Amino acid sequence: MLLTKEKNGNELTVHLSGELNTLTAPELSALLDSALKDVQRLTLDFAACDYVSSAGLRVLLATFKQMKAAKGTMCLSHVGENFMDVLQNTGLDAVFEIQ
Amino acid sequence: MAAEQVLRVPAQLSCMDEVLAFVSAILDAHGCTPQARTQLRMAMEELYVNIANYAYPAGDGWAEIRGVVEDGVAIFTLIDGGMPFDPLAKPDPDVLLSGEERGIGGLGIYMVKSMVDAVEYVYRDGCNRLTLRKKL
Repeated sequence: MLLTKEKNGNELTVHLSGELNTLTAPELSALLDSALKDVQRLTLDFAACDYVSSAGLRVLLATFKQMKAAKGTMCLSHVGENFMDVLQNTGLDAVFEIQ
Repeated sequence: MAAEQVLRVPAQLSCMDEVLAFVSAILDAHGCTPQARTQLRMAMEELYVNIANYAYPAGDGWAEIRGVVEDGVAIFTLIDGGMPFDPLAKPDPDVLLSGEERGIGGLGIYMVKSMVDAVEYVYRDGCNRLTLRKKL
């Protein structure tokens, strides 16, 4: 999986490319662990990632909780059809902000 | 009638890509839609990862994946010789909870159930057998 960071003040955008699965979810988790300090607005851009398994959802939920605890926000952008199905099936479409 | 294809691997996470490539190859040979392909790959990932992580607490083991498309229905079976475990027996998570109320896990098997038409578990001859069916 290719992850690209874009920082603008206290806003961070991470572009994901590839599949967010059991093997790649730890990469996203590690990147966010080191990059979220002082971030108030996190955007995860799924334009090039339309495969998110439960391991990926775990990272998204943990990150959502972490942002919330720090009074920040997290949003998902460019969500594709397959990922949207997963979000709707798991009720997470009502939890996450989706652009 | 199409012949069933079989892949046997060590039950390790490092074999996940090989398992998913096997699944894709069978589906691609039958002109599967991208959506059904992704859903079946995701379902197989969830079930295979469970085997790799939990089936053999004492050490090394194996997993066998069988796949076929018959009359437009994809049928995949995962078999392992680990401890008897029915992942379908777990109650479904409450998907109406808010972000704050939720745990961060427990969604994998629920996703499998929602992405295929039928999933069935049996323990037979010392093996766990999970069979997925999905109309393509």
